Amino acid sequence: MKATDTLLERAHAAAAFAKKLGADEARVSVSKSRGVDIEYRDGKLEKVQERSRRGLSIELFVDGRYAAMSTNDLRTEAVERFTADALAMTRLLEPDPFRCLPEPQRYLGRADIDLDAFDPSQARVTGEQRLELAATLEARVRELSADLNVVSITTGVSDDAGSGARIHTNGFEGAREGTHFSRSASVTVKEADGRRPVGSAYTGRRHQADLGSLETIAQDAVARARAQLGAGKLQTGRYTLVVDRRSVPRLLGAFLAPLSGGALQQKRSLWEGKLGARIASKLLTLRDDPHRVRGMGSALWDGDGFATHPRLLLEDGVLCTYLIDDYYARKMGVIPTGGSTHNLAWGLGTKDQAALIADVGEGVFIERFLGGNSNETTGEISVGCAGRIIRGGRLEEPVSEVNLAGHFGQLWEALVAVGNDPDPNSSASSPTCVFEGVQLSGV
Amino acid sequence: MSTLSEGLEYFARFGVDDVLIRAALSRALSRGGDFAELYFEHRVAHDVGLEDGAVNRAFLHVSLGVGVRVISGDQTGYAYTEDLESTSVCEAAATAAVIAAGAAREVTVAFAVGSRPDRYPVRRAFDEVGLAEKMPILSLIDARARSADARVIKVRVSYADSDGAFLLADSEGRLAFDRQPMARLAVGCTAEQNGRRETNHHNFAGRAGFEFFTARRMEEAADEAVRRTLFLFDATVGPAGEMPVVLAAGSSGILLHEAIGHGMEADFNRKGVSVYSDKLGKVIARPDITIVDDGTRQNCRGAINIDDEGNEGQRTVLVKDGVLETYMHDRISAKHYGVAPTGNGRRESFRDPPLPRMRNTYMMPGPVPPEDIIKSVQRGIYAETFTNGQVMIGAGDFTFYIKTGFLIEDGKLTRPIKDTNIIGNGPQCLERVDLVGNDFAFDEGGWTCGKDGQSVPVSLGMPTVRVSAITVGGVNAE
Repeated sequence: MKATDTLLERAHAAAAFAKKLGADEARVSVSKSRGVDIEYRDGKLEKVQERSRRGLSIELFVDGRYAAMSTNDLRTEAVERFTADALAMTRLLEPDPFRCLPEPQRYLGRADIDLDAFDPSQARVTGEQRLELAATLEARVRELSADLNVVSITTGVSDDAGSGARIHTNGFEGAREGTHFSRSASVTVKEADGRRPVGSAYTGRRHQADLGSLETIAQDAVARARAQLGAGKLQTGRYTLVVDRRSVPRLLGAFLAPLSGGALQQKRSLWEGKLGARIASKLLTLRDDPHRVRGMGSALWDGDGFATHPRLLLEDGVLCTYLIDDYYARKMGVIPTGGSTHNLAWGLGTKDQAALIADVGEGVFIERFLGGNSNETTGEISVGCAGRIIRGGRLEEPVSEVNLAGHFGQLWEALVAVGNDPDPNSSASSPTCVFEGVQLSGV
Repeated sequence: MSTLSEGLEYFARFGVDDVLIRAALSRALSRGGDFAELYFEHRVAHDVGLEDGAVNRAFLHVSLGVGVRVISGDQTGYAYTEDLESTSVCEAAATAAVIAAGAAREVTVAFAVGSRPDRYPVRRAFDEVGLAEKMPILSLIDARARSADARVIKVRVSYADSDGAFLLADSEGRLAFDRQPMARLAVGCTAEQNGRRETNHHNFAGRAGFEFFTARRMEEAADEAVRRTLFLFDATVGPAGEMPVVLAAGSSGILLHEAIGHGMEADFNRKGVSVYSDKLGKVIARPDITIVDDGTRQNCRGAINIDDEGNEGQRTVLVKDGVLETYMHDRISAKHYGVAPTGNGRRESFRDPPLPRMRNTYMMPGPVPPEDIIKSVQRGIYAETFTNGQVMIGAGDFTFYIKTGFLIEDGKLTRPIKDTNIIGNGPQCLERVDLVGNDFAFDEGGWTCGKDGQSVPVSLGMPTVRVSAITVGGVNAE
């Protein structure tokens, strides 16, 4: 019997109980996961943390009304009592004619692909192995930063295995298992003026064998610390920006958020009425790729149980779809498009980051963002950042305490180049991006 | 107030007793270690939501588990289980024990309960209040916000209550118990004017029972959400560049939280990674500046009777008359520095080991009338409401996002501004706080602080202050 069979059984039992109590329909999710994190600092183990989580959640549809319950107390009598409590709440609420399970035909057409999300080697990872990896990584970071005034080096190693099952009482059933591995390093360096910038790097994958090498992480972390030393301030003005692939999701997230059904139906979306219109530079082509083998965000079904399919979000800057889930589609009286994205695939350029920087000649390289926010109703964005001056096509002195501001629609209109270097450590898979004429504040 | 039986009685329904506690603590120290601790937690929370005029969604969340921590020197072993059967708890204890490598220690201490203040007396506990009583709160706010102005087109209201209980037992014989309620109300509003739309929010939170939801708070939640939304129609993004910034009394305490608060959490200093690591006892601000982190304010969101290591939540003066007096400590850092704990050891839940965390952080009022502070600025901005902030502890760079404010020109508030981030360097910014107002306000907002992936509720307070120069992240005309 597969591990997920027990979870499915539990989900069916919870749904049957809810129906016995009088629920018309129910949606139940059951999950279980176990993982270990270790943190190694300055030559010794700092922290070992084991996580073993489980949970059950049940959504109830009764007489056109809706409530939900979630618990990690899975004793049968406890689950039954909480379900009864939630059911009692449901009966008191005002009706919501749009709350119901999706049309069952939406569940059909599930792709027959092995996403290969589960690496069985996770079960064989020992505490000694984690410790050795973390110690080796720490030692290598220390070696590479020997010429710097290092105050502290921390490395991390973690792995997780999880499984989940979901059923809807009108015919949906799904179960999946997955693993996740990561390695990280950060090095803090002290400067003469007391500032202590940190360089950090990370790799994360579903399969252990796919992880970036320790050498790459060590080099990346040290290079990022080194690059910040002696950071000065930037003159306020408009600049051409080269944004590091690791930081692009911060700008993309603000841009995509107003595509959601919730934002549209609640009339707080900048993108209302823009379907089929060009809302970004012709260089922006984004596809959702839910079936990427070993992909971090891969899934054969989405949050509503809809079978997932690869699809275009933007093509040459033209908006191809909103992200409307079943509930908000009913409220809006439109056909649902699926409320989530999984792994992004970009229309890539042909150049790597160094070549893009050389092409730009004069500008600012944005290495990271800090804080900030955006307004999804109107498009304003204002976010802290730091990076390096680009002069003569090369990275020169670092700058910090910089802020980027503008309108995220106009920002993505001003995209003038896309790299050929999608980030393998994130489901956003962002390449380096170049934007022209962006307002930066400094002194 | 607290008796030995109170906590054990509460958790007895889950099969927790003295025998289980001793067995698990002994197992936790089965490989030696300096200290072991069990943190049992039970939390029941309700969320109720209104959208498009109907209270039509409700959620019940139940969480139960125990975290086991073993400390050996500065090293921590941590494991948790969501199953309180003795065998599972002992297994988690054995996992946490791997951090140590020595001879087993038997736990034979007699358990004793310390004193516990009563900073959030509850008049009506949430488990005595049914959904039917909660629903009208949302409907009333919705009706008030909708009728306040014809431009309002959407109102969303969310009600949340939570009742948490924890029992802590450690190898030094400490037994501590607390119940920590939380009430929260949030209102979102979208309005339309001449085809243009704007959205804004307002929220309140406090450690209190159902009595928190007073008519005054309900009215103010609706009125403020509407006012803050309509304000945006007249506002534009602020200017770009370095200039003086006046922070309004109240929620601008976010400046302290981000710019300096995190840097004063002792774990970062113990590791040498904070910009304040070698500043203890040194002058870090002007002599009229005193900054406090306080767990004692009655019914305040950041109040704690005891922290999550069993130490009393206190009023800790971080900066006194401009001098850095102390960091905020948890058990590990207090031991490292050889000082008494400050009651800042907090955790999100039984799934996480405690860390030094802020509670209710504020600056004491100073001598200057707030209107004089505004008058003192030739050209700058006045920041009134905020949404979020962040800091890089080592480099000291921090940000906070201004949702609403004004331009200051020739000592007067002029053009309304919105959606403008501020970025600065923490220690430098504190040095540049050069005028402190004689007004003061605590903010009742539902602030949540994140660190190491753990979220905890916090509060803020501030008099009006002037920062002589800081980078304002707006937009200048091309």
